Amino acid sequence: MRRIVLYEAFERFWHWAQALLILTMMLTGFEVRGLGLHIFGFQRAVALHNILAVTLVTLIVFAIFWHVTTGEWRQYIPTRKFLREMIAFYVTGIFKGAPHPVRKHRMAKLNPLQRLAYLGFKVLIIPVQITTGALYYIYPNLQHSLSWPPASLWFIAVVHTLGAFGLVAFLIGHVYLTTTGHTPLTNIKAMLTGWEDIEDDAYFDEE
Amino acid sequence: MKTATRINPTPSPSLRLALPALLGLVVLLPLRAQEPTTPPTTGHGSFTIVHVAKARRQTADHSKFKILKGPFKDSDGPAVTRACLTCHMKAAEQVMATSHWTWNVAKDGKDGYGKSTHLVNNYCISIIGGNTEGCARCHAGYGFKDKSFDFTKQENVDCLVCHDTTGDYEKEKGGLPNPAVPLAEVAQKVGAPSNRNCGVCHFFGGGGDATKHGDLDDTILKAPRAEDVHLSKQGAGMDCIDCHASDAHKVGGPNYVIPADRREQAKFAGESISRMSCAACHTVAPHKSYILNRHYQKVACQTCHIPAYARGTLPTNTYWDWASAGRLKNGRGYKEEDANGFETYNSIHGEMIWARNVRPSYVWYNGNLKFTQLTDTITVPANGKVVLNPAVGAYPDPEAKIWPFKLHEATQPYDTERMTFVAPYTSGPKGSGAYWGDWNWEVAIRMGMTTAGLPYSGKFGFVKTTMLWPITHMVAPKEQALACVECHAQKGRLAQVSGFYLLGRDRGTGVDRLGFGMILLTLFGVGIHAFIRTLHGHH
Repeated sequence: MRRIVLYEAFERFWHWAQALLILTMMLTGFEVRGLGLHIFGFQRAVALHNILAVTLVTLIVFAIFWHVTTGEWRQYIPTRKFLREMIAFYVTGIFKGAPHPVRKHRMAKLNPLQRLAYLGFKVLIIPVQITTGALYYIYPNLQHSLSWPPASLWFIAVVHTLGAFGLVAFLIGHVYLTTTGHTPLTNIKAMLTGWEDIEDDAYFDEE
Repeated sequence: MKTATRINPTPSPSLRLALPALLGLVVLLPLRAQEPTTPPTTGHGSFTIVHVAKARRQTADHSKFKILKGPFKDSDGPAVTRACLTCHMKAAEQVMATSHWTWNVAKDGKDGYGKSTHLVNNYCISIIGGNTEGCARCHAGYGFKDKSFDFTKQENVDCLVCHDTTGDYEKEKGGLPNPAVPLAEVAQKVGAPSNRNCGVCHFFGGGGDATKHGDLDDTILKAPRAEDVHLSKQGAGMDCIDCHASDAHKVGGPNYVIPADRREQAKFAGESISRMSCAACHTVAPHKSYILNRHYQKVACQTCHIPAYARGTLPTNTYWDWASAGRLKNGRGYKEEDANGFETYNSIHGEMIWARNVRPSYVWYNGNLKFTQLTDTITVPANGKVVLNPAVGAYPDPEAKIWPFKLHEATQPYDTERMTFVAPYTSGPKGSGAYWGDWNWEVAIRMGMTTAGLPYSGKFGFVKTTMLWPITHMVAPKEQALACVECHAQKGRLAQVSGFYLLGRDRGTGVDRLGFGMILLTLFGVGIHAFIRTLHGHH
């Protein structure tokens, strides 16, 4: 058992800033949709939602740069290795106190399910939200010059809204699964401090 | 319904007003001379500029002209006009080319829009069934009684109704001056039209103060800032003609012919944008917020900035039931008033409803209203209400915006066989056949249609009608502009305005149900999982 910095400073900053941004965008977004939230007031909620969107995109640009330059993007390459075991673990093993089938490693800190989930998050949900959000924003500037049909904005809004609901569902699952570590708070602590206990017999041997 | 005599502003109140106003000027003038750049109000600085410019505009003292000393015979308006024309020899010619004179406006190259045409409304219905003389009180001319009026006679142009500055001028039947008006005095004090000049007619449309438009009544003359931020003396202190600029006596703004230009297209030489449009002063992007500015594409300024019409002390007429007219007591007409003195019933026009502070109706509108004429065949829709002037426009139309309107409802007579509206002869004494004299629709309609030169089957009935009156005056101070959620809400002001997606209104319940279903399912799955984990005592 060794203690290493599994999540670097930028990574942690990126993660928690993104979490905060997305949470606030959920609140402001659901408020302007009229789902019964009255926190910021409509006008401020709209303004905030747009400002946060730009902030989030900026953050993501930095994050992409970081992933590319550090090679960390490889952490998200999907793999079938241990996928079946991971599913079996969550469906049955976890209840019996079976050991986690995948050990964390500095260069493989995500299990196959995490890889799939986070990759989906990064290449599907977030791009869909950014695209539909941007389209929604520029719609008034483009609708007549591009002669979009009148229902376009409705369609954009529906996709954006479903994406938002998807994000809420993701968040619920994500937060719940953080409690499946050694203790319910182990994983969250690691994400906050960066330090994580790594077992020596990790399935990837360190070079 | 206010009585028609209210049309004429009586001399005494104006005198009572004039004295304090003059005293006020004496006090204010030296102050203004010292600090010419300081606006006298909390509103726009334009007040000072506008009014200094106005004073400078006068280059002649008309009291020095011998020809204006008269004497003029009582009611001899044409004599005054002849005097005016000795200097302003082209003025009458100019006026004669305008709708103030012709009451007939051309639209898309076709005439037929205006009071002396076949156009029909659901207040007084039409003047051409023999009612011209009474209605011509508001004609900018002398002696308009019927079709025989000579529209080419220059001395028949009424200069004073627009240029009187004394407030003592008033017109009677046929448009002639009241015999009590001191014509020479009035003629020597002519000047640029003030709000009162425009108001003597335009505040009293529909036969009484505040009746017709909903955003125009004589409370505007003394309006607090909250009622009309432009015309109020505590606001910008503007005059009607500051926006309704004119060129060769052609005053901008005839409602029938707003082309599909959102009122902005330049109307006069030298304009880059119509002086009447909000944007002429405020630009097309007056808000700090980019998003608010973008509303300009699809939402008229008026929609947010006129939260309600009839915001003065006077209510406007919202319902006029001609079908219930003609109830008599002892063979005579009578009226009933509500607690505030507004007529809820009058035998001459039936039941009426009056309202103050009315929330407008919102409609897609590209500047075109399709007016109905007496010659048009009507079809009664399923809801029983014939819309007399449906607004043209829809969301995909780049020229259309959501506009606020006063919705006026009525019942009015129509020819049940020919399916056309009729122009009854309403205004006349007993024995004339006019409805208000003899209470007989049959006769009044037949006579009216004969006078109008229109066919009539002899069978009439009453049909419900609605009319849309664009709301554009009585702009409220910005603090009172509508908040976002007035429209961006499920049961907001735009609940009935269809054809487009509106944030906060159109939830598409299916989408939200799907979304919440997704969340519930996730919570359910997570809950079950957590429950089994705790059962086994493992993390």
